[in-house]
Amino acid sequence: MSRIIDRGLEEQSVLLTRMGELTYETLSLSIHGYLDGRSVQAQVREMSDVLVAMAGKVEDRTFELIARFQPVASDLRAIKSYMKIGNDFARYGRYALDISSISDQLNGLSQCEPWTKQYLAEMSEKVLSTVKISIDSLRKHDIALAKTISPTEREVDGMYLEFLDRIINSEQSSSKCVASSILVSRYFERIADHAVYICESVVYVVTGEKVNLG
Amino acid sequence: MTTPQQKTVESDLKMQSIGLNAWFGQKQALKDINVDIKANTVTAIIGPSGCGKSTFIRCLNRMHELIPNAKMTGQILLDGENIFDKTVDPVMVRRRVGMVFQKPNPFPTMTIYDNVAAGLRLTGAKKGKNLDEVVKRSLEQATLWDEVKDDLKKPGTSISGGQQQRLCIARAIALQPEVILMDEPCSALDPIATAKIERLVVELKRDYTVVIVTHNMQQASRVSDYTAFMYLGSLIEFGSTKDIFESPKNQLTEKYITGEFG
Amino acid sequence: MISNYAFRKFKNHFFFILCAVCVVLAVVPLLSILWEVIVRGAPQLSINFLISTNANGGIGPAIQGTLILIGLTSLIGIPIGILSGIYLAEFGNNHYAATMRSINDILTEFPSIVVGITAYGVIVIALIGSYSAIAGAIALSFILIPIVARTTEESLKLVPNSVREASLALGAHKWRTTLSVVLPSAKSGLITGTLLAVARISGETAPLIMTILGNRYFFQGLDQPMAALPLEIWRDSLQPYASAQAQGWGAALILILIVLSLNIAVRLASRGRFKK
Repeated sequence: MSRIIDRGLEEQSVLLTRMGELTYETLSLSIHGYLDGRSVQAQVREMSDVLVAMAGKVEDRTFELIARFQPVASDLRAIKSYMKIGNDFARYGRYALDISSISDQLNGLSQCEPWTKQYLAEMSEKVLSTVKISIDSLRKHDIALAKTISPTEREVDGMYLEFLDRIINSEQSSSKCVASSILVSRYFERIADHAVYICESVVYVVTGEKVNLG
Repeated sequence: MTTPQQKTVESDLKMQSIGLNAWFGQKQALKDINVDIKANTVTAIIGPSGCGKSTFIRCLNRMHELIPNAKMTGQILLDGENIFDKTVDPVMVRRRVGMVFQKPNPFPTMTIYDNVAAGLRLTGAKKGKNLDEVVKRSLEQATLWDEVKDDLKKPGTSISGGQQQRLCIARAIALQPEVILMDEPCSALDPIATAKIERLVVELKRDYTVVIVTHNMQQASRVSDYTAFMYLGSLIEFGSTKDIFESPKNQLTEKYITGEFG
Repeated sequence: MISNYAFRKFKNHFFFILCAVCVVLAVVPLLSILWEVIVRGAPQLSINFLISTNANGGIGPAIQGTLILIGLTSLIGIPIGILSGIYLAEFGNNHYAATMRSINDILTEFPSIVVGITAYGVIVIALIGSYSAIAGAIALSFILIPIVARTTEESLKLVPNSVREASLALGAHKWRTTLSVVLPSAKSGLITGTLLAVARISGETAPLIMTILGNRYFFQGLDQPMAALPLEIWRDSLQPYASAQAQGWGAALILILIVLSLNIAVRLASRGRFKK
């Protein structure tokens, strides 16, 4: 017979796993829409709204768990971190929405030079891999996996700074392309940051240590 | 954790207290209590000592009237039927609404086995039933079987307090009641035994409707889906446990659950 | 300070010694009586003494009479006593029961000679028309019933209310609860009380003088006079002959042995598997 609180924790972690899957779908839909020049904003908005609602539900349950079950130690760490992760997931959704609305407003990559698209596609793969690491390490509570995020995230950071240099110094004629690609690369960088926060939360849930993986 | 909001949809009313008043002699112990108890949920009754919470659940199976000079008015509906009706036999009500008491009270002259079988024997309900099976199933449901299966012939009072309380729960569920009332079932137990009973209570709601009186607010918050807060014989607030403990509407409730009085 | 402490210590010792002395004062007469009975009665004991009539130097009829009286009285008195006790304890929350309870208490302390005279008037003269065994048993029942009722009530009241509630909450009827749950829980108290009451009436003499009268022969019928040990002892002690007095001592010893064995039976009976 499990503890009464275990049901609540279990439900919370199931909800977060579902959120994780949805955020990955949302992000890859939005990013690929941007790269391929498709308009996916309406769909992404819907998914992002669902994610925000789910984060709200996670927060509600967090309060209920604290109010009703007097969690301590690992239970308390998990409950607190789950709420934080829920918000991180909701942020993923918001960035996905930001990317697709920028893409719609500024005509995506259509006016960019080919190297831009190639560069951002490469960057997006790395970003999605950090997202995948964050979701998988959460689902399995795998701290070894969580810690593997650091090098990839540093690469994303490096690529972001390098991209800024290149786009400023390039002969790009379209200001729409410059503005949108800079914003998108910035969102990519932020998404990778949130992936790091999630991985840090996973380590905290399991060990109680507050590590810095960024 | 099944949140009450989800539950409400599929669950119907099991018991209903409508304008319930109760007296001990001249002293009014309950004033106009209206509570709806939904099937397959745990409803907790909390409140400071002497607020009438025990009296309330003793009205739900007509145990209150056993006390000399005790009186009650109003209605208690069980599946829509008023159990205070003159044509209703209190003995039959008690078979459908079982009870577990504050202090574990196994029958001192009976073995563990006989204690569980006692309900069926005393009420003549054992006809056509395999006693061994009923005893085993009841003890399993009360999560006591593994601990006592080799000691069924030992006196019911020879086991620990927590085990005795689970034995009393097994004794109550052997009769397969529809509702189980618990009157501070953990107040005589240590924390470990208490945790076991609490888990059991949550398990029990799958098959039964549970009403539990407790002076321990945390216990109420842990095990129940609905909570009723009583004070000086009146029902102050009744709602889902989440709402009562997160955002109570009445100031008295807020003060009580935050420990300002009580 | 010191002297105060010494004084308190002295007081403590003083009261301890006082209590011990009082116990000795109380026990000495009892032991000396017992000793006297054993020393004087033991030489009388023989098979012949136990089974012969008085004419043949035995007290057989008296032993037989006492055993019959104990049996008959128990048969009449114990069921009535226990049922009254159950009524008083389980259903006795009313004025009627309160009245019965106080009458019962008075009866417990009633002089047994008065009981004897009553039985003489009502049964011996009015109903049967002669001294008889049954009249003696009824007279002794008058003494037995209030004691049994009282001890039954007391031992039922010792059964915690929670046990009753447990049974009632299971949907058992009141009578079923009383019979199957409360009575077994009070079992040892009931047996002890009842057997002690029986021991008490087996030594009664006064009511017997007025009812069974005494008889030199073995049992002759319920409506005939009958012998009994207390009567035997009383009659023998009045005789001027040493042999008769010796017989009385022997009878006294037998009576003590019967009461003693009842007491031992009590102890054994109350040592059940489920000790209270």
